Amino acid sequence: MSRMEQAIDELEGTAVIARNVNFYYGIVQALFGVSLEIKPKQITAFIGPSGCGKSTLLRCFNRMNEVLLGTRLEGDILVHGTDVYREGTRLETLRKRVGMVFQKSNPFPMTIYDNIAFGPRMRGIKDKSTLGEVVERSLKQADLWHEVKDRLNNHAQGLSGGQQQRLCIARTLANEPEIILMDEPASALDPISTSKIEETIQELRNLYTIVIVTHNLQQAARCSDHTAFFYMGRLVEMGATSRIFQNPAQKRTEDYISGKFG
Amino acid sequence: MGEKKDYVRGFWAEGTPFIWFSGIAAVVLVLMVVGLVSLILANGMSQFWPASVAKVSLKNGSYLLGSVSDREKTSERDRILLRIANRDVNGLDFKWVESSAITKVEYPESVSVLERDEYGPMYGFINSLAEGESSVASSSPEFQNVLREKLRTVREKTASAKKLQATIDSEKKEVTAVEVRLRRLDEGEKANDPETLLEKAGLEKRRGVLLENLGTKLADEEKELERLKAEVEAPRLDVTLSDGSVAKVKLRKVLAVFNPNAMWFGAKFVHYMGNMASFITDWPRESNTEGGVYPAIFGTVMMVFIMVLICTPLGVLAALYMHEYARQGFLLSAIRLAVNNLAGVPSIVYGIFGLGFFVYMLGGGIDRLFFADKLPEPTYGTGGILWASLTLALLTVPVVVVSTMEGLSAVPRANRDGALALGSSKFQMIWNVVLPNAAPGILTGVILAVSRAAGEVAPLMITGVVKLVSAVPVDAVWPYVHMDRKFMHLGFHIYDVGFQSPNVEAAKPMVYTTAALLLLIVVALNALAILLRNKLRKKYMGSAL
Repeated sequence: MSRMEQAIDELEGTAVIARNVNFYYGIVQALFGVSLEIKPKQITAFIGPSGCGKSTLLRCFNRMNEVLLGTRLEGDILVHGTDVYREGTRLETLRKRVGMVFQKSNPFPMTIYDNIAFGPRMRGIKDKSTLGEVVERSLKQADLWHEVKDRLNNHAQGLSGGQQQRLCIARTLANEPEIILMDEPASALDPISTSKIEETIQELRNLYTIVIVTHNLQQAARCSDHTAFFYMGRLVEMGATSRIFQNPAQKRTEDYISGKFG
Repeated sequence: MGEKKDYVRGFWAEGTPFIWFSGIAAVVLVLMVVGLVSLILANGMSQFWPASVAKVSLKNGSYLLGSVSDREKTSERDRILLRIANRDVNGLDFKWVESSAITKVEYPESVSVLERDEYGPMYGFINSLAEGESSVASSSPEFQNVLREKLRTVREKTASAKKLQATIDSEKKEVTAVEVRLRRLDEGEKANDPETLLEKAGLEKRRGVLLENLGTKLADEEKELERLKAEVEAPRLDVTLSDGSVAKVKLRKVLAVFNPNAMWFGAKFVHYMGNMASFITDWPRESNTEGGVYPAIFGTVMMVFIMVLICTPLGVLAALYMHEYARQGFLLSAIRLAVNNLAGVPSIVYGIFGLGFFVYMLGGGIDRLFFADKLPEPTYGTGGILWASLTLALLTVPVVVVSTMEGLSAVPRANRDGALALGSSKFQMIWNVVLPNAAPGILTGVILAVSRAAGEVAPLMITGVVKLVSAVPVDAVWPYVHMDRKFMHLGFHIYDVGFQSPNVEAAKPMVYTTAALLLLIVVALNALAILLRNKLRKKYMGSAL
């Protein structure tokens, strides 16, 4: 294997590579030269105070920032070796590969079944039995199957907040993504629902690459393999979660995780 | 002192006067609506009630028959307005009578009201039902039954005569065509040219052959028709009128006979409901002051439906582009403002535009292209239901655009993002998530558009509405839907009956009745849309709308 091939393998083996990313909302710069790597099939947590740019970076991975007008990105973002900001990238394909779960659960005003089948249907899958399998598999993976299997044709908005969020996770799983981005998925939920979500995330570990943005430091410590700490649009420190929480290299990280600010 | 000051402060701080004023405003609104509707209903619904007919004896020894329709009582004079009917005899339906000239007012049970297809009702005392030499006196016990039976047979025979006439007409169609051609040749400038004479000879021969083929069948049918017509014409009612003369009224012209003074409440109510039903299902008579408004109802509803079919997709698509695709900026804001302001353009301006653009340009173009053989007689190049509906669609499209845009902005950002994050394209997101979410808002726009369109008259007057039509735009003749036809409209009907009718006093209740009906139709159409909207809302329960 040549060195070239080795390099390509390494590139493709890394789930996400961000290189020197600057991001602007109009004239306001939100990210300053962020570079990091996300390891595949592991859970990476982004922590940091509000407005530190962690959600912005997350939304760069599937280009969801572009639904807002006047945003601009400098630098490269590679998902399994593909530059997602290259001209001609199909957003539909990218977002199928890189799924996203939002802070506030956002089930569509349709039935539970239709919510899960939404992604596959958008890609032209119409076969009833295929869709049925996808729905069942996704709901089982999201730990929701036994709660809703008898009312798949009920309205999704009749579910509780935690169930709705797990429905949104299942909806993303139905797309069979490579990477799942979670933007504070449990911040709007009660403790019991939160622990349910965390259980779900644990079950998905080793199956998917998961990047989770969270305000909840305990959650980051409990769930994640790697943690990245952001402050004022800059990546302060990134490393194995145990090291970051027990032995942070930077003073700011230590202050933040010990609750001196945040 | 202190307490009082606190009270005043609390009074103002809690906004008590404000609450009162807002309550008063709501009450004024409700009173306005209730007042308007009850005015229309009270005046309109009395139209169908069989009024008692009074026999008013006068000082000079004569008497009048009529129903009291108004009374004017001031310090100077006291007089009543009698509806004396019998327009063919009296010339006028109504007559003022001074109270001082009246000696006696009775309500004899033998007074009959004859509803006729011409000249409005007739009030009088029926002497007998006569046919040729034989007659049945009204005093005889079986008179009512005989009359009912006779009315029925006359009606049946009239119908079968009409049918027979149609059969004969269709059989003679070819002959008629030949005859028309012959007449043309006779009237033409070259009537004596050898060629013309030759053609005439040929045509006459052809006519002979055709007539021979039809032969005795046609002759028999024509004889039968003559017989039927004679039978229909024969029966008549002899009625003594208030001036002592005896009118001979052909039964063919009588629609119904009843004695209002002899009727008890239930019978009157049945009569009332019957009148109401025939108002909705009959064609107008007597330059619209009598009979029903069926073609106007048909025209109004059909026009509104065509309009909705045109303005909804147009408005929704335009709003979608402006809200979802167009770049937000000064130009778009200007366009939005312009669309909003379009709703304020006087409707007659739309009418003139419709006349110029749709009728003359589009319609004229269609005629030159497809109906050239009929010119100069216009087919589409004149007012018609299609052009009127298009004009109204233009008028109402801003309403749909504005409410669709509001509906679109009310779709939660989270739903849009969710769809995009699942890898749907923008179009898929709009089609599958945004549009279903915005549907109730769109329907709100349609409801507003329907209300506006159904009440509009001015633009219709120059784009296709007429006083009276001979056929509604949908019938059994190919191509079944005749978009080029002129039509009747309830709104215009109100104007026509109220202001253009030769018999204003008699038409007045009709104006109210028609207004009530128009109101009812608008409510019904809206109810339909609201029902649909609620269904959609239920389907997309929990959405922002």
